[in-house]
Amino acid sequence: MPPQTHSPLTTVFSDVLSDLAFMFTDDEPAEPSPGSIWLEGSIRYRGPVSGTLTLVCPLEFCRMLAANLLGLDADEPEAEARAPDALRELLNVVCGQYVTTAFGHDKIFDLSIPEARVLPETPQLASSEDDRTTTLSVEGHCVQLRHTPDPA
Amino acid sequence: MARNVLIVDDSSVIRQMVRRLLDVAGLNVDAVFEAGNGIEALAALHDHEISVMLVDINMPCMNGLQLVERIKSNPKLHDIPLVIVSTEGSEQRISELKRMGISAYIRKPFTPEQLRDVLTPILGVSEHATADAQPADDSVF
Repeated sequence: MPPQTHSPLTTVFSDVLSDLAFMFTDDEPAEPSPGSIWLEGSIRYRGPVSGTLTLVCPLEFCRMLAANLLGLDADEPEAEARAPDALRELLNVVCGQYVTTAFGHDKIFDLSIPEARVLPETPQLASSEDDRTTTLSVEGHCVQLRHTPDPA
Repeated sequence: MARNVLIVDDSSVIRQMVRRLLDVAGLNVDAVFEAGNGIEALAALHDHEISVMLVDINMPCMNGLQLVERIKSNPKLHDIPLVIVSTEGSEQRISELKRMGISAYIRKPFTPEQLRDVLTPILGVSEHATADAQPADDSVF
């Protein structure tokens, strides 16, 4: 069976998660869990090309992310309080790594200040899986990362 | 001389994480101060004696590049070692920062060992800090 290949977006996201927060993705299909609170984070990059990275994920994922970054237990109140900031920082690091991986180390990109918001309802995650969208299971949580390049 | 570190990053999570990594790296710093952007960093420099600054680039109000410019053009501040801690990996930008006089660049994400390798020569060697020293990788210069 040939080894499974991943898009640069998937590889960068998985590597950053493991290096930054000791969180690991698996290849099992991920299904969004109903009843969760969902967050959406986004960051823009501008340079020779421009675009946006958007990450949609449940609050539990962000709480675990914050806990791992800060050395806390995921059920501590501080982990939940820091969850949106942890999501923003994850996007910041992913975007910085992704633009150099995708477009080269010889180009300068300016990144926006990342934003995060609570979604009013469980999102309908895009079902397409291509170089610009990756849906992953991370420590049992379904997350989706989208890359939306600006029109040329 | 006191070994005081100023962390400049708009993310409170990253500031707290760096505090923890400074502890894990065993650098024995005397005090750690925090600023959420360049303006707050300049205020902290006015109030405290700082031995080294860890500076993010992507921040609101006054970003890391603007802060480095301000510090390097101020005779009272320009000798403070500046370590850029950023997610950006452009060779041009790193070269530009070197020309501006930064002491080191660490790319996020990073390990306690990378932080220790960069800060040990700046803060001065301590027995605890060098006990388990490992070489830095190419995400540090």
